[in-house]
Amino acid sequence: MKRYISLLIALCITLCAAGCSRGGVTGNGENYTYNDYVSTMAANWNPHTYETTTDSYPADYLRMGLYSLVFNDEKHFVEGKEPFTSYKVIPEMAASEPIDVTVQIKAEHPEFGIPETAVSGYAYTIDLNPDARWEDGTPINADTYVYSMQRLLDPELLNYRASDYYAGNFSIAGAEAYASQGQTVTLTAEDVMETEGLFDAEEFVSAYGDSAAHINWFASFGEAYSDETHAWAAAENKVADSGMSVREMYDFFMSAAMERGENADTARERFSDEISVQWTYPDNIDYSTVGLYKSGEHQITLVLSKSLAGFGLLYNLTSNWIVNEELYERCLKKDGDAWFSSYNTSADTTLSYGPYKLVSFQKDKSMRFERNTEWYGYTDGKHSFVDPVSGEERPMYQTTAVNTQVVAEAATAKLMFLKGELMTYTLQADDFASYKNSEFAHATPGETVFFLILNGSMEAIQSREASGSFDASKLDLETMTLETFRRAVALTYDKELFASTISPARSGALGLIGSSYLYDPENQLRYRDTEAAKSVLCDFYSVDVSEYESLDEAVASITGYDPETARGFYGEAFDQAVAAGYITDKNGDGISDQTVTIEYCMSADNDFMTRTVDYLNEKMAQVTTGTPFENRIRFVKSAPYGTEWSNKIKAGLSDTVLGGWSGSVLDPFSLTDLYVNPSYQYDALWFDSDSVSLTLNVNVAHAGESEIMRDVTMSLHEWSDALNGEFVTVDNVAYNFGEGMADVATRLQVLAAIEGAVLRTFDYIPMLQDAAVTLLSKQAYYVVDEYNPVLGRGGIAYLCYNYNDTEWAEYVASVGGEIKY
Amino acid sequence: MIKYVIQRLFLMLLTLFIITGMCFVLVRMLPPAELPPGDIHTQVIEARREAQGYNKPYLVQFGIFLKNVLTKWDWGVSDKLYMGQEVSAIFASKLPATMIVNLYSILLSIPIGILLGIIAATNKNNFIDHTISTATMVCISVPSFVYAFLIQYFLSYKWGLLPFLVKSGTDYFSPEMFVSMLPVILSLSLGVIASFTRTTRAELTEVLTSDFMLLARTKGLTRTQATMRHGLKNCMVVVLPAIFGNFIGIMSGSFIIEKIFAVPGVGSLYINSINGRDYPMFIMLTVFYTAIGLAASIVVDISYGFVDPRIRIGSKK
Repeated sequence: MKRYISLLIALCITLCAAGCSRGGVTGNGENYTYNDYVSTMAANWNPHTYETTTDSYPADYLRMGLYSLVFNDEKHFVEGKEPFTSYKVIPEMAASEPIDVTVQIKAEHPEFGIPETAVSGYAYTIDLNPDARWEDGTPINADTYVYSMQRLLDPELLNYRASDYYAGNFSIAGAEAYASQGQTVTLTAEDVMETEGLFDAEEFVSAYGDSAAHINWFASFGEAYSDETHAWAAAENKVADSGMSVREMYDFFMSAAMERGENADTARERFSDEISVQWTYPDNIDYSTVGLYKSGEHQITLVLSKSLAGFGLLYNLTSNWIVNEELYERCLKKDGDAWFSSYNTSADTTLSYGPYKLVSFQKDKSMRFERNTEWYGYTDGKHSFVDPVSGEERPMYQTTAVNTQVVAEAATAKLMFLKGELMTYTLQADDFASYKNSEFAHATPGETVFFLILNGSMEAIQSREASGSFDASKLDLETMTLETFRRAVALTYDKELFASTISPARSGALGLIGSSYLYDPENQLRYRDTEAAKSVLCDFYSVDVSEYESLDEAVASITGYDPETARGFYGEAFDQAVAAGYITDKNGDGISDQTVTIEYCMSADNDFMTRTVDYLNEKMAQVTTGTPFENRIRFVKSAPYGTEWSNKIKAGLSDTVLGGWSGSVLDPFSLTDLYVNPSYQYDALWFDSDSVSLTLNVNVAHAGESEIMRDVTMSLHEWSDALNGEFVTVDNVAYNFGEGMADVATRLQVLAAIEGAVLRTFDYIPMLQDAAVTLLSKQAYYVVDEYNPVLGRGGIAYLCYNYNDTEWAEYVASVGGEIKY
Repeated sequence: MIKYVIQRLFLMLLTLFIITGMCFVLVRMLPPAELPPGDIHTQVIEARREAQGYNKPYLVQFGIFLKNVLTKWDWGVSDKLYMGQEVSAIFASKLPATMIVNLYSILLSIPIGILLGIIAATNKNNFIDHTISTATMVCISVPSFVYAFLIQYFLSYKWGLLPFLVKSGTDYFSPEMFVSMLPVILSLSLGVIASFTRTTRAELTEVLTSDFMLLARTKGLTRTQATMRHGLKNCMVVVLPAIFGNFIGIMSGSFIIEKIFAVPGVGSLYINSINGRDYPMFIMLTVFYTAIGLAASIVVDISYGFVDPRIRIGSKK
């Protein structure tokens, strides 16, 4: 028996010794491995179907855009700029800059519908890089691009990413019609008329008279009319079947107009705007109607439905849509009537055309990238930079391999980093005291502003209050919809204090558009630094600029925290809420009988959520002391809703959350769409941007032409559309304030006006400006310490190493396996 | 006995069918994730739901599901978590990691747990018993993720003896993989060891005071011989089903422990499939775990008869 036990012990020791040996270190002096970690591993990085940023992680290693951004230096020279302070756009998968062929294409291809007045910004030819290859050596040419776009937009495949190429500013002509063919959607009468070329409302009624009319009663009449009972009732703020045909609805609009004293033209206009029908996209659309086609073996022609030029165009072309034809076809599978693709879901189903290739992948565990020797960039002479310290020319992408593994817990990641097993570690709130002054700590400003979204959906709130479990004698939800109450909440919190308390890496936010956004990337000019943006903040926070020496001083004085004014608003809100019957004060003590309960919508219950809710409650208790809401406003945590949290907020089923948008840091103008487009709005259920008019005195002249100032009135939604390159017609004049169409000052004016209008809804209360502080391993260093808003610190392309893998292992061992930062 | 087993198997299949049917219909009755009005993806998402047959009557969907499973062993394609991949293949690829760490854990826990239980029972109410019982209570009360972090801190970080995470790859029986799994095994084992210790101690304490133990001693057996040959065997009536139960549980991973040590197992699959509304994944997991649970109950019931000859399942007398 003793012999067996001895043998068993010996076996265990052998196994332990074998396991503890550093078999993983295979460095030969030339290996520079970037050991990265993620909390969730990508599962599907197919450019046509991926849905989350987690899934897009491998794209930086495996793909290249038609163009890419590099730091300016002596090799990539930019006039008047110090090296590494700006950027330069270089052709990547393209061979040269795009050539504007708008006039030619407009004449040759009327099917693409380029506006008659357009002379530029709609059509381009792009020469492709003839050296581009897949990792297996297969050449990439114009056919690859056309095939990939055809598959991306394929109406049968129903790809999630298809709308990226027609729903935003980068909109390929004919793409929507091709991708959506045969699908039935709800369209306004105006959109149908425009699409089908119908002349007016009468013609529309002739064509669609018997169809069911859909209407948002709330937005159009305030109340819903029943054709059966001929009675008005409370309406929901959503488009629904009216119960009437289009013809009946048209007659109803006309008679309603007479009752209102409106003329027939106004009634018809309202009808066109407010009535929707079920509309089916025409079938049998051929791909030849899509504005991306082959015009040479290594040349494609791109036709857009919205004008886009300059940096905006190039920036949109820094991402790519191409897939490997053979592999893509092999990965397609039909299950029932639905198509699925396993393309880019494993190492076997992935082919790279970027600097690295995927050599191994284990689901929910790890992925490893190694250099793609077929990548043109290692030999084309363009992918190098001049070292700002030594002055020597160095190749980009010194990293030879990238090991990425899932480390879900920050505590584990920290220990691994200190042990030299990870390249970076993002500081958590508890780490700041120890590492904030470390020379290895690098602050990275984020583009996102986190705002508190406040529920304003009275319908959803009343529905929740009507449920059996809701005790209306003790609780209230309706009061939070009052503007005075929301104004008070906005002034209750000191944003900087909030940030330093719950998330020290971040800072307080005052506006909706973050401090990182550049309106002029070339000169690195930030929107937040403009007079228009500063004035918006002063207006919103009621700061009298005349009391300060400068606008800057006035802005610097804003904290977002004004307890005295907030208390006044709480008093007003109390009076209004009692009058409206939302709350009661039965004993007349001037204190609400009910507690206004604001549910904080959690995706998951964690320390951050707890700290946030505790802080909100603590400061609320302080500010409401002595007001009718003393101890009568309470933030409570919701159940963990997981990924459903945003839908809960949008549906008014939960009341508040710190939410935000991460848009393109180089395009603050596109952010406006997020606040006025129901596709994105958190408050779409209770805020209709089409119904808010905004009049601005703006320069309506085309960019570069003499100034023509004019008062222009549009809805908030229309201003946003015009700002983002769409022609919006007002009083028979078409306006377009898109890039290259209007001067920058005008665009900034419009942007600031929209930001101000959205802030004044008090649906979004800015709280946090995102940022992160990351420790970088001593193994490597950034070429530039200063964070560049366009290129960050250059990413993997510019990462340089102090130690190769072997040297690093020796260094770690020499310090006892515990590195000090 | 055979008739009893056949009966139980038939009832198991019937129960499995009913549970599967109920879960299938109930999960599909959940409203799809709400989308805001006018969302640009609404069109595609709704069209996909239609194409995937989610708008058909539930019983029709269930019929198609059964037909695919029974005729083609096709459990469907993941449409959320692992877009476009066969759910059965995903599950099969992730199950070994979970099974192996759990198996190691149980193999480690059973002898240690029973041994400690015996030591505690034979030293009832003295210092050793109190020490073991206290340690047992601590191990049962403290959540396993606390051990996990302590193990990572001391064994991996401070002393550098073990890796932080389970090694990548599928070489599950390599020495390197075994060593990388040790932190997981230890974290999972402490609670199981405590559980076995407590059960063994409680049963053995009672058995040791039985008349037959006195008889065994009077016929000349030493205390150790009597305990091992007669006492332990009798207390196994309770301990053995617990061992079976743990063996069966090796296929259900620990959500927290797998997350901390990056075990590429099935621990988070179920919860993620519900949160992500990945219907095919959810249904396959439901069927699998229901079948395992039902089979386990039969195995445990039958095992009583083998452990204790006095128990005769299915016997008419």
